[in-house]
Amino acid sequence: MTQPVRIAQLSCGPEYSGIQNEINEAAREVGGEIFFPDVALKDIRRDFEKFGLDVRSPDLKLAIARAMALVEGRVEADAVFIATCFRCAEAAIVRNELRRYINEHSKLPVVSYSFTERTTAGTLLTRMEALTTIAKRRALLARETQKGLTLGLDSGSATTKAVVMRDNKIIGTGWQPTTEVLKSANEVIAHALAEAGVTREEIQAVGTTGYGRFLVGKEINADLIQEELTVNSKGAVYLADRQHGPATVIDIGGMDNKAISVMDGIPGVFTMGGICAGASGRFLEMTAKRLGVEITELGPLSMKGMGARVPMNSYCIVFGTQSLVNALAAGSTREDVAAAACHSVAEQVYEQQLQEVDIKEPVIMVGGTSLIEGLVFAMGELLQTKIVVPPYSQYIGAVGSALLASGFIKDD
Amino acid sequence: MTDYTPTHVGSVTKYVMVESFEITPADLAARGYEISKGVMIKETCFGLVLNGKEEEVDRIVTELRKIDPGHIFVKDRGFPPGDARRCRANLGGARPGYNGLEFEMSILPYVSHGLEVLNSKDEKSVPSPEDPLEHPLLDIHKLKKLIDAQES
Amino acid sequence: MAKVFIYPATSLILSDMVARFGHTPLSSATAIRERIQTAGLESPPLQITPEEPKKGLKWAAVEVPAGVRGRMSLYGPMIEAAEAAIIINDADFAFGCMGCARTNELIKFLVHQKDMPKLELNYPKNEEEGVKFVAAIKRFLTGLGAPK
Repeated sequence: MTQPVRIAQLSCGPEYSGIQNEINEAAREVGGEIFFPDVALKDIRRDFEKFGLDVRSPDLKLAIARAMALVEGRVEADAVFIATCFRCAEAAIVRNELRRYINEHSKLPVVSYSFTERTTAGTLLTRMEALTTIAKRRALLARETQKGLTLGLDSGSATTKAVVMRDNKIIGTGWQPTTEVLKSANEVIAHALAEAGVTREEIQAVGTTGYGRFLVGKEINADLIQEELTVNSKGAVYLADRQHGPATVIDIGGMDNKAISVMDGIPGVFTMGGICAGASGRFLEMTAKRLGVEITELGPLSMKGMGARVPMNSYCIVFGTQSLVNALAAGSTREDVAAAACHSVAEQVYEQQLQEVDIKEPVIMVGGTSLIEGLVFAMGELLQTKIVVPPYSQYIGAVGSALLASGFIKDD
Repeated sequence: MTDYTPTHVGSVTKYVMVESFEITPADLAARGYEISKGVMIKETCFGLVLNGKEEEVDRIVTELRKIDPGHIFVKDRGFPPGDARRCRANLGGARPGYNGLEFEMSILPYVSHGLEVLNSKDEKSVPSPEDPLEHPLLDIHKLKKLIDAQES
Repeated sequence: MAKVFIYPATSLILSDMVARFGHTPLSSATAIRERIQTAGLESPPLQITPEEPKKGLKWAAVEVPAGVRGRMSLYGPMIEAAEAAIIINDADFAFGCMGCARTNELIKFLVHQKDMPKLELNYPKNEEEGVKFVAAIKRFLTGLGAPK
């Protein structure tokens, strides 16, 4: 048996929220093991003072001392998991500063999370899987070119995508809304294979990612079943041709959003959000429906409008939509409404998620929503940068999977 | 979530800590074993952990305290001895409570001193410590004097 | 014998003093013991399940973090049961069960609100303060009634 990935936990509150076991379970499920860096009282006193963030909660002081023990190499770990209570301001400050501190001063992958008593192992699984992957599979993630003939499948919550790649080129694609997970997967695979003009038997390696990755991966006998945080990061820097140096990857998905700070194609810090549907691709879908246009037309429509002309005072998917309806009734143009919806999603992702990663250029937007120009424009305005949207950006997970899967081709 | 079936139901666990240059945890353990009568005694670096029926544990605590009342301290523990959930070996590091205990251990010599002094002194004759809730303001007359001194 | 709530509830010193001078300390350990020894759903390490933060709603509203409410489910009932309290005010290094400053503020507030005998102290910083500290606690506890 391989050694478990040692994940150091820096936290305040999980034991008292009844979710420590959920954290342990999520780690165990992906070959990780949670541990608490051992520090003595004298270390806590000294390091807390040295760090200079004068918080009151003793457990946060302890978390600071434990972080310093990791960074200074007094305690060894493969990865770090930072968890504090949702809605605690003091802890949020510590969580952010520790995440930044560890990222800047060590090579340890970090994920931070604010939990409630409703947090389950399932919610944490993708994050933990990404942590263990980054910690233990650096060789796999170092791959920069696709070799041979491979298939990548992204079974997402909203859409299922497949690509066939040969010798570093995309030769076939398939895309459709996710209905039945397996059925949708089989159909997009068939489409991609037909477009590529190859048969399933010729495919040398297969990779899956996305929500349905385990189910589909088992069914189609995938060589690589991998969460979307690392796969999408790889796919993004590969397609944008920014495989070296820093980058920030933003993926606004159907169910949750990812913001990933990448270095040389490997995620350093990442957040995955999904508390509110108002910040998701779903909201834009609803807006398009309300405006009576296809989602593909929403982007061009919004580029003709001015979002600021439409009063929107809620981020909620229900009340936000209501604001749009009211605006239409009050005489706002469809263009302005479309632009306001894009701005609302961008702003919410910016406020709630991008604060948790350090934005470094280039900023690469991927996923289906990156095709909505108005959203990309709004995000660029907020970040004051030109956003890169690589070709095939809607196939990002499938491309990342096909790329990484080529590491599994057996040399005959 | 799976069902949880507790062990050690109805028992209590107590730490007996020794803060002394003269007696060691081993001395305490030796005395403890003599009178244990079914109480589980585990020796640790700082003293003992006792587990058993409350009356039995309390009886042993009373006996052990007699060895050196000013330097033996007792505290309840939620978990039975050696419980994997709190074990340093399983957690990778000490449970957070340990650091708190470490802090109080540094205060114990002052408390021991207090206990010893009060063996031969009535506590009523000792002045009260400062009330931590009172933050006395600078007396106005004293302030005036300070200002005058500066100005002259 | 009075039930004396101690703050910090994890304190070895206060737990010892209260028992030594004949009363019952209400401490974190006794609250955790109750959970560890009660059958239910498995939720290691402390057997605090996601239900506990919900029970904590009695003392703190839903917008208060889960960790505060979970801790209050331990301390709320203890403060209600308490007949007296000893509070050490400069307990800056009490971790774990006492590791959250917001919970600790609420605990102190509730203790102060309750009409019962209270003793407020700081940790002794030298031998002289040690004598005053022990004497104050002894006087306070003796005043609560006859020891066993």
